[in-house]
Amino acid sequence: MPVIETRGLTKRYGRDAEPALTDLDLVVEPGEIFGFLGPNGAGKSTTIRLLLGFLHPTSGSATVLGQDIGSGSVEIRRRTGYLPGGIAFWDGLTGERLLDELAAMSGRPPIRRADLADRLEMPAATLRRTVRDYSRGMRQKLGIIQALQHDPELAILDEPSEGLDPLMQRAFYEILEELRAAGRTIFFSSHVLSEVERICDRVAIVRHGRLVALEDIASLLARRKRNVELRFDGAPPVLERLLGVSEVRVSGDRLTCRLEGDVAPFLRAIADTHVRDLTIEPARLEDAFLEYYADDLDAVPA
Amino acid sequence: MNLAYLAHLLRANRARIVVVAVALIIWGSLLPIVYDAFGEQFKDLFDSGLIPRQMMQFGGGDIFSLTGSVALGFIHPFAVALNLVFAVGFAGAAIAGERQRGTLEVMLARPISRRRVYATAAIAASLFVATTVAALTLGALVGAAITGRVDELGAGNLPVLWLNAVLLYGAFAAVALAASVSFDRLTPALGLTLAFVLVSYFFDALGSLWPDAQFLQDYSLFHYLDARADLTGLPVARDFGILAAVIVVAIAYALIVFPRRDLAAPS
Repeated sequence: MPVIETRGLTKRYGRDAEPALTDLDLVVEPGEIFGFLGPNGAGKSTTIRLLLGFLHPTSGSATVLGQDIGSGSVEIRRRTGYLPGGIAFWDGLTGERLLDELAAMSGRPPIRRADLADRLEMPAATLRRTVRDYSRGMRQKLGIIQALQHDPELAILDEPSEGLDPLMQRAFYEILEELRAAGRTIFFSSHVLSEVERICDRVAIVRHGRLVALEDIASLLARRKRNVELRFDGAPPVLERLLGVSEVRVSGDRLTCRLEGDVAPFLRAIADTHVRDLTIEPARLEDAFLEYYADDLDAVPA
Repeated sequence: MNLAYLAHLLRANRARIVVVAVALIIWGSLLPIVYDAFGEQFKDLFDSGLIPRQMMQFGGGDIFSLTGSVALGFIHPFAVALNLVFAVGFAGAAIAGERQRGTLEVMLARPISRRRVYATAAIAASLFVATTVAALTLGALVGAAITGRVDELGAGNLPVLWLNAVLLYGAFAAVALAASVSFDRLTPALGLTLAFVLVSYFFDALGSLWPDAQFLQDYSLFHYLDARADLTGLPVARDFGILAAVIVVAIAYALIVFPRRDLAAPS
């Protein structure tokens, strides 16, 4: 059974307003880290808030952990950990008291708190300080701990690495990978493509409230065009009609092109060329992301 | 109700409730003392006809009888303002304030329904209102005890006065909570409720001071706090009923509206 399943999920704020989310069909399977990508205002937070019952769908339906998002909202939140974007706390409390109170409201013991606090370098002395005195990064770490401390089946994280330094980001990614190994499901939104590329199994890309891509990271990257630069002696290789190769430009002893898909045909095509140097840039999710946005710019109504 | 959230609310407001309660005890005890010291002089002044009768009987209170001085203490702007710290200040901010700060989102990420959040805030508001009104009532008793006039006060009727005042401020708290669940920002929730309270107070004061405007008092919730009648053992059941009805209507509104609202991301 999918952990998250949406069918034609649509949200419109006000009768005459443009839809914030349109016909979202999405399936998130158990035990995967699912990245939800899009720029600000694309519909990421709207989707998350629909899943958690903060918003009511205009049309369509969705289930989370087998529960309908309308009638089963409380049960969904019982089994879910949520990190809101730009999280706010009761600043007058100490970090420890805050976590205690939130755990009490959750009705589940904070069995992972000590481990998370240790991994995210939030020692007891820090947790005994009032939240008012916390830096942005410390607040974010506190937010991550409150979302995961009761070991939820599903973690929904909105821009989770915002404010974390690179070391803490690494620690956070390790935590997510361990949760995945333990069978937990992570659904997180982000516009930090490098982190999505690094830890996600699958990604969905939304634009103007519409889903424009949904696939696993590996195949997304495999289909991306990589930049190739080749330096040669003698005659340049003939690449113009080679499958997957485009934008071939030759200038003196330097050839550049774009390469999509399997690299083997390309390597065979240059086998007879005296190659002095060859650089193939690895495919990056950022390129894929930008390309999707460029490609769909005309296809999707504004 | 969610006990953990209730404990959070009580803990977060404990210093404030102590300060307000102490201030109300002091205030409540002052007017019987003032009556004891100057009551006869005020009565002579009143009997001389120099001051219009209406001016000396504002809001059902006066200063030349013990029950009148206690009644005046309950309706005086100072006592009203202190009671409204929780009846309007706390209740108005209970949902809209959390929403504006972004903390409502953290709380609603727990397995707590919106109705349960509302019910918990309503119970906390009720406890605070019951405490502040009890402090004012206790102050009246203390003042009567200091002046040796407990028998004259009719202390057995104080619980009735307490209940009447709790219903009044409970009604304001219910209206404030209804406004609080309706807005994403604190300012409109508090502004709307304070406007309601001020208009209500103005109607009561105007109707009390100007006979031609007496009909306005029927539209003021303050009119339904009749401290003198409560203390003389003749409480008006209709007053209690009207205040209770306002509370029921405001609660019903909030319980319907809050769960149906969209809570978009805080801007």
